[in-house]
Amino acid sequence: MAGTLIHGSRRRKIATALPFLAPGIILYVLFVAAPIVYSFAMSFFDWNLSNPFQSTWLGLANYRKALNDEVFRRAIVNTVAYSAVTVPSQIALGLGAALLLNHKVRGQPFFRVVYYLPVITNWVIVGVLFKYAFNGQAGLVNFLLRDVLHLIGSNVLWLGDPVLALVPVFLVEIWKGVGWCAVIYLAALQGVPANLMEAATVDGAGPVRRFFSVTLPMLGATTLFLVVVRTIGTLNGYVSNVVITNGGQPMDQTHFVLTLMYKVAFGSLQFGYGAAISYFLTVFIAIVSFVEMRVLQDRGSSI
Amino acid sequence: MKRFIPVSLVILALLLTASVVWASGSKETTPEPAGQKVTVTYWHTMSDPEAAQLNKVISAFEEENPNITIKPTKFAYDDFKTAILTAVAGGDVPDTARIDIIWVPEFADKGWLLRLDGNMAGFETLINRTFPGPRATARWKEHYYGLPQNTNTQVLLWNKERFDQAGIDGPPATIQEFAADARKLSNPGKEQYGYALGGTYFWAPAPIFYAMGGRIVSPDLTTADGYINGPESVRAFTLLTQLYKDGAISPNLLGGGIGTSDGHASGKYAMIIDGPWMVDIYADTYPDFNVHFAMIPKGPDGNTSSVVGGEDAVIFDGSTHKEAAKKWLAYLLSSDAQKTMAQVGVIPTLSELRGDPALPDYFDVFMQQLQTARARVAHPRWSDMDGAINNAFQRMLRGDQSPQAALDQAAKEIDKLLAE
Repeated sequence: MAGTLIHGSRRRKIATALPFLAPGIILYVLFVAAPIVYSFAMSFFDWNLSNPFQSTWLGLANYRKALNDEVFRRAIVNTVAYSAVTVPSQIALGLGAALLLNHKVRGQPFFRVVYYLPVITNWVIVGVLFKYAFNGQAGLVNFLLRDVLHLIGSNVLWLGDPVLALVPVFLVEIWKGVGWCAVIYLAALQGVPANLMEAATVDGAGPVRRFFSVTLPMLGATTLFLVVVRTIGTLNGYVSNVVITNGGQPMDQTHFVLTLMYKVAFGSLQFGYGAAISYFLTVFIAIVSFVEMRVLQDRGSSI
Repeated sequence: MKRFIPVSLVILALLLTASVVWASGSKETTPEPAGQKVTVTYWHTMSDPEAAQLNKVISAFEEENPNITIKPTKFAYDDFKTAILTAVAGGDVPDTARIDIIWVPEFADKGWLLRLDGNMAGFETLINRTFPGPRATARWKEHYYGLPQNTNTQVLLWNKERFDQAGIDGPPATIQEFAADARKLSNPGKEQYGYALGGTYFWAPAPIFYAMGGRIVSPDLTTADGYINGPESVRAFTLLTQLYKDGAISPNLLGGGIGTSDGHASGKYAMIIDGPWMVDIYADTYPDFNVHFAMIPKGPDGNTSSVVGGEDAVIFDGSTHKEAAKKWLAYLLSSDAQKTMAQVGVIPTLSELRGDPALPDYFDVFMQQLQTARARVAHPRWSDMDGAINNAFQRMLRGDQSPQAALDQAAKEIDKLLAE
């Protein structure tokens, strides 16, 4: 192990670098590192907001309470389902969109903008619009399904059903995510060497074969990146759920882990319990991300 | 030495955490010097017209009390609780605030509010001038932690056009008539209903629940068993569930349907139960609609009742200007201040103002209803109790449980909350 002395030149380098690093380090510690440590500590107490030192030590009781809480378990199921469904969907559809947007056609810039527009819309506004569209008695979706396409006989009360109420939440995520994934894939597609494609065509490969044998493997690293980032993003889902389901309605069955955490901490003032819930999510996300990276890295040969 | 920076970051994080915890834990309040100019902060969630009217109240107060300046701050209702929590955590609370009545026991239990009885000159006289329902909202563990500043309640709104079409004379006077009218006015095939609730949260069925003699917990707040699942409560919820099953209540209450305001004005819902804000809302959205109010129909024991909403004015325990704050609160409860705010649709809490010509006409029915309206459970865990009743109502509407069984489960859940 190297000695603990920093020799002259290295010390000078650190001394020069430190003032430049300091603002970033301070902001990071203040707004990221300290809250992480602080909330971890909170999770072991019945936290007293006005006098933290008078908080009651609970040990692992908050964590045990979460595991025994039916509402929390349902929230986990909802959140995992949300991730499992929307991540592959937006990545697959995003790839499809990127392939289309890669063709040189008239209006290509226009279409690229249109596909990306959902990404920059406001979650709350879009959530409210989807909520109106899925209104059980006066919504656009029921109108189309019942009165136009005659696919259903009577109105479906979307937001009154513990499972169906999440359909608009899932759709908002996919709708918003496709454009983002498409743009990233579009950039990656530019990196697929033209000579490889030509060689494949010369060898007699049709478009489908070319896609699966040349394009897709070259997109391996991008796909891994999108899977990990979108998984983390969707497991942290909050805004559209709260806007559309009104905070877990009906019957607290439509919560995501973060919406439950917010309700418990800022609604019922149980900050320690809320912190414990958030740490369950943290550990879960860390494990899932790690597993994804291992599995997908082993598969992708070109990474 | 490669480990130097990460290690020092962790140590820095721990030190910062410790100092933040230490700083928020040790607050000292300096006593206010006598005879000096004092600023009292007042946080509220008033609408813009109300906030403008508040300035008149403030000017009148400052004229009478030249040494005190009131500094109001307006918040959006959705942000308000978080803003207060942040203030409490940071040790920088406002002197006074107008908060939702259901937060008073919650904040009082945590020690954030100043106890007013025995601590404020003239408090007993003031509180006894208010309606009984609002008065009960400021009470926690035998003491008072606020003064009811404004109140509201819910009454019956009936669509005269629909009633005339169906050949019904006027609004129902008893619950029995109400149920019959609701059935007569319903035509689910044409998506018309006799009655609609805004949802299954307790505030929606509360007026009928209380009119039928329903109760949630024992008066000493020790048990819900025998109360929320007692015969009167079960009878009330059974009536609503039966009306729903018979197609007399709109399915919107399960979630995500046409709202009560729109449904009522467009004739889809012949009757709804709602508050005084409907006057302004309809003036804005359905100006051609004539809204008709009536008292909540009388229950089997011949009495009407309803539920109380509103806000209480409180003083925070961390305030450094408690004496000036008390003067401000007392002024907010004066009949001058209450009559001024009444001009913008804020119902006063002073029972002596009932029938006062200075008040808008439509206040009459509400202030009459306030004489018998009840407060909900004044307990720190009320919002979770509301959740228990909400879920029970949903289960019985969906046919998962009978009303008795659903309320028995709610009683168990509420008992657990009372014991915590």
